[in-house]
Amino acid sequence: MKLIRLAAKNLLRQKRRSILLGSAIAFGILFVTLINGFTGSFIINVGENFSNLLAGHIFIDGVEKSETGKELYIIRDDSALMDAVDASGIDYRFLTKRSEIRGSLLFEGNGINQSIVGADWSRESYFKERIILKEGSFDNMADPQALIISSKIADRLQVELGDRVIVKMQTYTGQQTAGDFTIAAISIDTGLFGSISCYANLDYVNELLNLAPDEYLTLGIYLPELVDTEPSTDSLIPELEKRISLFSRETAGDENPFMAILEQQEEEEWEGIRYRLSNINDILSEVEEIVRILNIASIVILLVLFAIIMVGITNTFRMVMFERIQEIGTMRAVGMQRSEVRQLFLLEALFLALFGLAAGYLLTAGAMGILSSIYWGVDTPLFMLLKNGYMTFTITAGQILLNIAIVTLLTLAAAFRPSDKAARLEPGVALATEK
Amino acid sequence: MAIVSLKNVKKTYPLGKTEVKAVRGVSFDIARGDFISIAGPSGSGKSTILNMIGCIDVPTEGTVELNGHLTSDLNDREITRLRHKFVGFIFQSFNLIPVLTVYENIEFPLLLGKNVPAPPERKEWVNYLMDEVGLKDWTKHRPNELSGGQRQRVAIARALVTKPELVLADEPTANLDSETSEAIIGLMKKVNQDMGTTFIFSTHDPTIVDLAEHIIRLRDGLIDSEYRRDTEGGR
Repeated sequence: MKLIRLAAKNLLRQKRRSILLGSAIAFGILFVTLINGFTGSFIINVGENFSNLLAGHIFIDGVEKSETGKELYIIRDDSALMDAVDASGIDYRFLTKRSEIRGSLLFEGNGINQSIVGADWSRESYFKERIILKEGSFDNMADPQALIISSKIADRLQVELGDRVIVKMQTYTGQQTAGDFTIAAISIDTGLFGSISCYANLDYVNELLNLAPDEYLTLGIYLPELVDTEPSTDSLIPELEKRISLFSRETAGDENPFMAILEQQEEEEWEGIRYRLSNINDILSEVEEIVRILNIASIVILLVLFAIIMVGITNTFRMVMFERIQEIGTMRAVGMQRSEVRQLFLLEALFLALFGLAAGYLLTAGAMGILSSIYWGVDTPLFMLLKNGYMTFTITAGQILLNIAIVTLLTLAAAFRPSDKAARLEPGVALATEK
Repeated sequence: MAIVSLKNVKKTYPLGKTEVKAVRGVSFDIARGDFISIAGPSGSGKSTILNMIGCIDVPTEGTVELNGHLTSDLNDREITRLRHKFVGFIFQSFNLIPVLTVYENIEFPLLLGKNVPAPPERKEWVNYLMDEVGLKDWTKHRPNELSGGQRQRVAIARALVTKPELVLADEPTANLDSETSEAIIGLMKKVNQDMGTTFIFSTHDPTIVDLAEHIIRLRDGLIDSEYRRDTEGGR
C-alpha cells in the first residue's frame, strides 16, 4: 500500500512529463484500437452488404448433367428444397428465387459486361429497400422488360431513363441469344459490387434464359442475422440430404467448403441433378483472411509504436532515477529493500501505462463516436465496409485485453532496467552523489 | 557490550587513477546510551565512519560490529533489515521525501519491513513524536513548506520512529543557524536521555562538539583524540 501511494505521488510529481508519456501511450492505443475496431466490424459489414446484394445468407443452386455431359445450372422443381427448408426449422426472413444473365449490355455503340439479376419484385420488398434510386421508380418495374442499372453503368453506356438497351447473352443451355430492356430506374452506385449487377424482372430473365416460368437458378435464404449462417446451414444440410443429392461441404482442412463442392463436381462421376449449398461465409473466408492480416498488421504497428515509446520511457526513467538518486539512498538507508525500490519504479511505470491506456480508450471511444456519426454515403468505394453508409466499430474484449497486456508489459519492460539499476545502487553511493 | 565496535577500519576510495584513503585505521567502541560527537575538519573521514557504522558503506579493511553483529557477515537483505530495526539516520541536508507530508515522512520507515504496526498504534506513535519535536501543527505540510530547522526536526522524528537503539546524525546542524543548531542538538540530547537512544553525530562546529559527552576527534582519517566528559579521559 505504501509503495502504491508513493508511486502514484511520484508520478504526479512531474505532471507534464507523465502527461506526455501517457499521451504517447494513449495515441498508440487510439490508433491500434481504431484499426482493430474497424476490422472487427469489417467482416460483419461486408457479410451483411454481400447478403443484401446477393439476397441471402444461404444459397442453393441446382446442377443438371445433360445427355451430352454438359452441366446446366437450373432448379426445375423446388418442392423438395422448400420441404427441406421447412423441416429444418430454420428461422429465415424471406426466400428469394433468382435467375441471372451474364452478358453484354449494348447501347448506341457502347457496350459493357454485366450480370442481370432477375428478381420477383412482388416478393422481394426488403430488397427494394436496399437499392437507392437516383432516377426513376420501382413502379416502372411493372414493365416486364424493365431494367435497373447503376449510375456508373448508365454513364458508361450513356443511357437515360426510357432508353432501350440490347443484351447479348446465352440461354441456360449455352445458345447465343439477345434481348432488350428498357431503362426503368438508375440506382446510386454502391461501389465495386453495386456496379457489376443490374436488376430485372424474373419472368423476363427466365424467358431470355429459356427457362420455364417456375424455374430459376438460385434459391436464396435470407436469415435474420449473419451469425445465424452456420447453425442454419448445419440444420438444413441433413434435411436436404434426405430429399435431394447434395454435393458435400466436408473439407479436409481449412479449405473453403465451396472449393470442395467444385472439386467433387469436376472430379467425381455423377449424373442427373445434384445441388450445391453455399453460404455467405464461403465468400467471407477470403475477407476473413484480409481481416486476419489487418489484425496482425495492427499488432505489428502497436509493437513498432511502442518500441519508439519504450525508448522514451527508458530514458525518462533513467532521468528520474538520477533526479531521485539521493531519495533512493535515503529510502534504502531507512530500511527499504532493493526489491521494494525496484517495485516502486515499476509501479510508477504501471500507473503510467494504466493512465495512458485509460486515456487511450477514452480517446478511442470519442473518435469512434465521431467517425460512426459521419455519413460517408453509399456511392463510395468504402461502401462494402460500411453499414448503411456509416462506419461501425466492433472490438472484442479479447483484443482489448491483448492490447492492454502488450502495452503494460512493454512499459514495464522499458522501465525495468532503470528500476533495477536504482535498486542496485549502494545507499552510501546514492547519498553521496551530487546532482 | 559496546553497541558499536570498530576494529582497525580502513576505507579507500578510487579517484580516477589514484586512491583516496578516507579512513586509515580507526578503532573505537561506543557504549549503549552514549551521546557522542565525531569531530574534525572536512575530509577527516567523519561521514565515511558514520556511513560504515550505519551499514550504508563497507570498510575496505577491518571490521564493524553493530549490536553484536559483524556487518561483513550479513548479506544486503539482512543488513537492510538491521539498519531498519536498529539504526536511525539524520542527514545534513535533511533528505526528506518531497512528495510526502510531514506526517507521512515520519511514518514512512514504520511502513517498511515485515512487522508493520497497526494503524492506530502507528498514528499514536507518530503523533507523539511530532508533538515531541514541536511539529504537531505541521502534519499536512510538505517539506518545501518548512524552515531548515523544522525539516531537521522532521528528520529527527523519522529517525526515531522505529525506536532504534542507535541514531547517526551526519552534520545535522551544518545547514542551520547557531540558535537552531543548539535547539536541534538539545532535542537530540533530550531524546538520548528520555529514551536511552545512542546518538552519534558528526560535526566540524566547535560549539556543537562541546555539547557531546563523548568526543572523538579525527584528523586525516585517524583518531586524533578521544575525550569522555564523565571520565575526563583522553588520548
